[in-house]
Amino acid sequence: MKPDSMQEAPRQSGDVGLPGSASGGAADGALRAAILDRDRKAIAELVSLHADAIYRFIYHRLDRPEAVDDLVQDVFLAALTAIATFRVESSLRTWILSIARHKIADYYRARLRSIVFEDADTRSDEPATDMRIEELVDRRRLEERARAVLSTLSDAHRAVLVCRYWDHRSVGEIALISEKSEKSVERLLARARQQFKRGWIHG
Amino acid sequence: MASQYEPDDDRIFEGLAAATDWERRAPTRLKSRVYSALMRASADSGPLRPLSACEQEGHDLCVWERLARAASAGTLEELNYCRVCHGRVLGERVERAPLAWHGCPYADFQK
Repeated sequence: MKPDSMQEAPRQSGDVGLPGSASGGAADGALRAAILDRDRKAIAELVSLHADAIYRFIYHRLDRPEAVDDLVQDVFLAALTAIATFRVESSLRTWILSIARHKIADYYRARLRSIVFEDADTRSDEPATDMRIEELVDRRRLEERARAVLSTLSDAHRAVLVCRYWDHRSVGEIALISEKSEKSVERLLARARQQFKRGWIHG
Repeated sequence: MASQYEPDDDRIFEGLAAATDWERRAPTRLKSRVYSALMRASADSGPLRPLSACEQEGHDLCVWERLARAASAGTLEELNYCRVCHGRVLGERVERAPLAWHGCPYADFQK
């Protein structure tokens, strides 16, 4: 059975808030035609032009960095398989990013459904305002620290937190893809935020 | 049980997520791996575009592709030569591999 990302045709424009230019062009059309003709140089160009953007998009949104490479490869393979359906009025970059968005949803669907939403006790509330992020202005260092704190969380807490804030999915959407109730997702998110804040402040 | 939700939570976590998004580049090994996978999939689905057609389009061929084109006199132009090239092995396994062949995609990914 095909994964959900392949069953649902990728959207053709920048209507999902994705980065990248919204309009296609002659160059994208020529690249599409050459790829359909199995042109090895066009395939290399596809990777050269878009791998950095797709990698960045996926890396930022996944809770497990070790899963990024496989997902990037899956996205490109899906794009190659579906390239005939790419309509040139949107940009190729936007089209591939929309495939990536669907692949990430597939990833979280499998991940969140396999995770037990444990009912851990929340002991102390750390006020959110104690979490000062402005003191680390270097994005790279900020990310290292965030990743370090995330790595101390349980799988469930890390997955739901990254899915909600880094992948910009609503509680309703997470409930839908995880097949859990919204209440259950909200409770898990609350605990995940508490754990993260505790790690951030005291770590 | 005390409320676990702080009104500022969403704003702060959204801010943190936005602040940790920076211009990162894909590892060269990953680019090589992705290109190899796409080439395998393309070659499995049918013959690749002949090397002479690629050259006529203005693309540079690598030294092995030029050799293969000349030696085969046009009969083996549709094969995936990257599959048996040690440039692929190096590109997939070594980050910033020392590859500098003109017309080699694996060398281009190192830039």
